[in-house]
Amino acid sequence: MSVMPANDIILEGVDLKKHFGGGGLLSSPTIVRAVDGVSLGVNRGETFAVVGESGCGKSTLGRLLLRLIEPTGGDVRYEGRSILSLNKNELRRLRRELQIIFQDPYASLNPRMNVGDIIAEPIWLHNLASGREKRERVADLMRTVGLLPTHSDRYPHEFSGGQRQRIGIARALAGDPKLIIGDEPVSALDVSIQAQIINLLEDLKDRFGLTLVIVAHDLAVIRHMSDRVAVMYLGEIVELSDTDALFDNPLHPYTQALLAAIPVPSPSNRQPKALLQGDVPSPAAPPSGCRFHTRCPHARALCKEQHPGLETAPDGRQVACHFWREIQGAGAGSISAPPPSAALAKRLALYRTWRERQDKPVATSP
Amino acid sequence: MGREAARQPTTEIHDLSKASPVAEKPLLSVQGLSVRFDGAPKGINVVDDVSFSVSKGKTLCIVGESGCGKSVTSLALMGLLPTPPARIVAGSAHFDGRDLLTLTERDRADLRGDRLAMIFQEPMTSLNPAFTIGDQIAEGIARHRKVSKAEAWERALDMLKKVRIPAPEKRLRAYPHEMSGGMRQRVMIAMALANDPQLLIADEPTTALDVTIQAQILMLIRRLQEETGTAMILITHDLGVVAEVADEVAVMYAGRVVESGPVEAIFEDPQHPYTIGLMGSVPSLGRRQGRLATIRGTVPPAELMPKGCRFTPRCPFSDAHCANDPPPLAEIKPGHKARCWYAPLELHRGAA
Repeated sequence: MSVMPANDIILEGVDLKKHFGGGGLLSSPTIVRAVDGVSLGVNRGETFAVVGESGCGKSTLGRLLLRLIEPTGGDVRYEGRSILSLNKNELRRLRRELQIIFQDPYASLNPRMNVGDIIAEPIWLHNLASGREKRERVADLMRTVGLLPTHSDRYPHEFSGGQRQRIGIARALAGDPKLIIGDEPVSALDVSIQAQIINLLEDLKDRFGLTLVIVAHDLAVIRHMSDRVAVMYLGEIVELSDTDALFDNPLHPYTQALLAAIPVPSPSNRQPKALLQGDVPSPAAPPSGCRFHTRCPHARALCKEQHPGLETAPDGRQVACHFWREIQGAGAGSISAPPPSAALAKRLALYRTWRERQDKPVATSP
Repeated sequence: MGREAARQPTTEIHDLSKASPVAEKPLLSVQGLSVRFDGAPKGINVVDDVSFSVSKGKTLCIVGESGCGKSVTSLALMGLLPTPPARIVAGSAHFDGRDLLTLTERDRADLRGDRLAMIFQEPMTSLNPAFTIGDQIAEGIARHRKVSKAEAWERALDMLKKVRIPAPEKRLRAYPHEMSGGMRQRVMIAMALANDPQLLIADEPTTALDVTIQAQILMLIRRLQEETGTAMILITHDLGVVAEVADEVAVMYAGRVVESGPVEAIFEDPQHPYTIGLMGSVPSLGRRQGRLATIRGTVPPAELMPKGCRFTPRCPFSDAHCANDPPPLAEIKPGHKARCWYAPLELHRGAA
């Protein structure tokens, strides 16, 4: 029925805009341009990341892509078909295939429902199974995400943060989704739990052939998980690129500044860095021309006047900067993560070996 | 200058009360600190036998995940723990010749905000929304110095300039809600440093901030520390931050220090399985190298805490010995200690 796009794009945003405020007689006259003209395509089976600082519009973009909020302008296409024209019933059917995992797992789980019911809800909503079959599916999902099926009658407050995130993931998986958007899925978790959830998401993606869209601010997590990255600043994409290319040779000065700001976990390589000054300007009154020009070390007169469009570099990467060709040569940005020391590498290998052995006897415990 | 002079007498009093010479003695030396919460199972302390020290101008980072006792430790030092339910059951904390844990509440209040200062994680909740920034900084100055209101405000303005807040005169009259997260954290730092403290405790000072703002704040803290020679205890869960600012590191797990030493030793020659697991859990910034190593499970609740090493249920290397006998914090190399029966691991756990 629907026309398949050429390079297998599963989800596409076309010139998406979301402006808050300024609507009615009584609402405030300032308009916040949370997302302002974003176009992107997510390929089937990839992990696509959206990164930026707070207030850049990345979470709003994630919600727009699922039509959890209505865009002010632009279009969202799933499997080549606009999802904005769908009616309620059609949209509900679509919800099965497009799912979301939230940052704060506690706030997104109903405290009055036990875990079994939380996970079963999408199953009965979409009439996927009932009775014993449903219960078996729930038990299966719980095992899949590393929870004990015997805990299905417990309530969300009885679980730790990491376990709650597993519940959220199990619920997202319950409707057999094709694509999952993770809105900061690991940023509220402790480091050791974060690693467990990252590995879990990767395993599930392989096992169920999912497409993942990860919205996050942690660049190390993004480098580890994603195939392509879109960097956002004040409601716009400033660079969109393959992950390795972006980290090895960032083109946009904002990307360069972001990478430079990451603390490098190697005490022997402390270097003074060129830091970005100032705060992100308010999205209610974005700067003229290039929105980054107020903080950009390379800004010139043109940047203040003319808004740079997203242009495609020879290697297929997209960047929105008037002077990216010159800036690229300046050598700023790319991060040199030193390899771990011999002692650490050796012990880490030992740790991994013993860790695998630890998992073998009891595979159920997370 | 006038302020410097006004401060002089207090410093001399401290010097007189000191028993031993200043030479190599650490500014703060914590020995065997144990804190217990009422209602916790018998023998389970939230902070158990914690020892560390900080010297003038140096930074100690306390690393650990939520619930490891790092914040309780710092609150105990500041005398900010609610007692009850918390009780300090053992230990000492010698600061500039005096034991912080045995001071009277009055003496402690004189130290706090003056010789000892603290920066909290959430600048919004630790600033009073009903007062201007200037009021709040000046209040701390007026509490500890014999100065007029105008002088206190003058000093507050100096501090805002020092932490590089743009348009400081205007900001002095601003309320906290009018500022961004990064600016508020600068205000917190200005407030903490207003009386030139000898020791600054920073509890996750950059956790709530964006990465570019975090880098600004870390740089600022480091620069101010170089200028003033303040010693610092920085509490964090972020190994990247540790690598950037620490001189010494103490890794805490479930209320105990499991490894401590110079920052290079911790990162280049980590000994405790928890430290190693933690490092394996952090995605690298370089090209992807397979799956992350993980630490199994979560920190056990107090009633299930093992008798021996508290990391036993999660540790891949553990055995019955670990579960029953708590290992000592043993010195592996000079200055580098680890609380593990099997460190170094390749020696005891390499072949099997």
